[in-house]
Amino acid sequence: MILVREIRKTYGRVHAVRGISFAIEPGEVVGLLGPNGAGKSTTIRILTSYLTPDAGSVEIDGHDTRTDSLEARRRIGYLPESAPLYPEMTPGGYLDYRARLYGLPRPERRRAVGAAMDRCRITDVAGRRIGHLSKGYRQRVGLAAALLHDPPVLVLDEPSNGLDPSQIRETRSLVNELAARRTMVVSSHILPEVERLATRLLVIAAGQIRADGPMAELAGAAAGGGRYVAEVQGDTGEYLRLLRGIAGVRDVRAAPLNGSAWSRVTVETGPGAGDPRPAISGHAARIMLPLRELHEDKPSLEHLFLQLTEGTGTAPEEASPR
Amino acid sequence: MSSVWAIGRRELASMFRTPVGWVVIALFLLLTGAAFSVGLVPGQPASLRDFFAVSAWLLMPVAPAVSMRLFAEEHRTGAIEPLLTAPVSDAGAVAGKYLGAWLFLALMVAPTLLYPAVLWWVADPKPDLGQIGAGYVSLVLQGSLYLAIGTAVSAMTSSQTLAYLATLLPILGLLLVSRGASDSSLGGSGPMPEWARRTLQALSIPARASDFARGIIDTAHIAFFLVAALWCLFAAHAALDSRRWR
Repeated sequence: MILVREIRKTYGRVHAVRGISFAIEPGEVVGLLGPNGAGKSTTIRILTSYLTPDAGSVEIDGHDTRTDSLEARRRIGYLPESAPLYPEMTPGGYLDYRARLYGLPRPERRRAVGAAMDRCRITDVAGRRIGHLSKGYRQRVGLAAALLHDPPVLVLDEPSNGLDPSQIRETRSLVNELAARRTMVVSSHILPEVERLATRLLVIAAGQIRADGPMAELAGAAAGGGRYVAEVQGDTGEYLRLLRGIAGVRDVRAAPLNGSAWSRVTVETGPGAGDPRPAISGHAARIMLPLRELHEDKPSLEHLFLQLTEGTGTAPEEASPR
Repeated sequence: MSSVWAIGRRELASMFRTPVGWVVIALFLLLTGAAFSVGLVPGQPASLRDFFAVSAWLLMPVAPAVSMRLFAEEHRTGAIEPLLTAPVSDAGAVAGKYLGAWLFLALMVAPTLLYPAVLWWVADPKPDLGQIGAGYVSLVLQGSLYLAIGTAVSAMTSSQTLAYLATLLPILGLLLVSRGASDSSLGGSGPMPEWARRTLQALSIPARASDFARGIIDTAHIAFFLVAALWCLFAAHAALDSRRWR
């Protein structure tokens, strides 16, 4: 588990991190999201003991990164941004070197290197120079190095940075596999990536946490309630009247679909309202109105991101820092 | 300790994975070999004096070339981040890097042991082995100090060129300071105070090396090189540690 208490870091006059606190439980996959320069990398570097915070503390599995740094580091697998490696080494040699740094004894070292290479699918390039590998392969070598000692905590800084779409897909599926049984922090400014990987989001902007919570919860809260869309055929007057009577419904609108007898009905609920979909479909059935589609119109992560980081909205109450 | 050895091993191997390591060793052996053969004069007593003199001066450009990449290259590429987030103390990282560079220097000097062997085989009377041993001790101590200076400088910058030049400068100072000590004045501005002359002489490497060249192994000289090297490694550690706070 990761416990961060009120960390602060300044570079000269620039306040990179201004009092960030959060706790990540075992098994959680947390997406650290924020615009460039928001303080994501600084936060990650403090988590991994690369930087010492000016104030505050970080605990990794109960080990303070300042007073018990080596033990804390032993429990983290870290993939820094753009996976810096030694180009003159081979993946096999590099992983063996990393295993030695972590003090793995010889038999365990061989097993760990082999397992990490298999897992990250780099066995076929084990003997080639890292400098001659594609960026995707280098990223996987970096991931294999982070996994070698089977750490309970994985920290990945921009794991898809600079990769092409197929490499991004491969890296994403690999990270998804790794997420099982581990506490994971994935930093990224690529929204769909975070959306697919993380079960919880930490949105950072200007060195502060703007939102913290599960994706669905944050998105719903940012939108101030739910939004549902139904498509029905025929006169919608009576139907709209019934829908307005559903508990928690704030607004109901209907718009005809071009060139057909079908209409799109939008139902908006207020914060804390339950799921109105059973009632929406039930009312259509009661007045014999053909209904061909009904879905929740989730606000996009992009919308949430812009709202939280550009100051166009405030972080919702249930999304406030823990 | 195993992590120090792992870093040292990697560092040493990386020097041989690029042409630079081989070129440096080849040049060193070529030039010291020339000095050795020049010193072989029929009818003259066998000595390695020229070889040691040339080797000591060659260390001045060679040691910074070996040490400049130790940390500077890692700072430049970002490879320092995986290193300093592994369970290795900053002192361990400095010791490992220094060990790698030191082993390279040792491997570079090791083939020259052939010269005393040849001398022992062909010369009559036989060469003074004590003097030759003292010469090697001097060479290793000087190399150790230069590498320690280079390690400290490399830990402070991400530019290898800057690391090379900033290492060369203090080494040059330590080599030339004896001239100031032996002169009776400093730039003609009057007689040099006794304390200044003594300080310069204490820092002078050639003054200490000349004792070794005569076959004298003075523990004060050994202590000077070791303490100065340790002080530089401590500075490297401080430079590394300060990066975590910046």
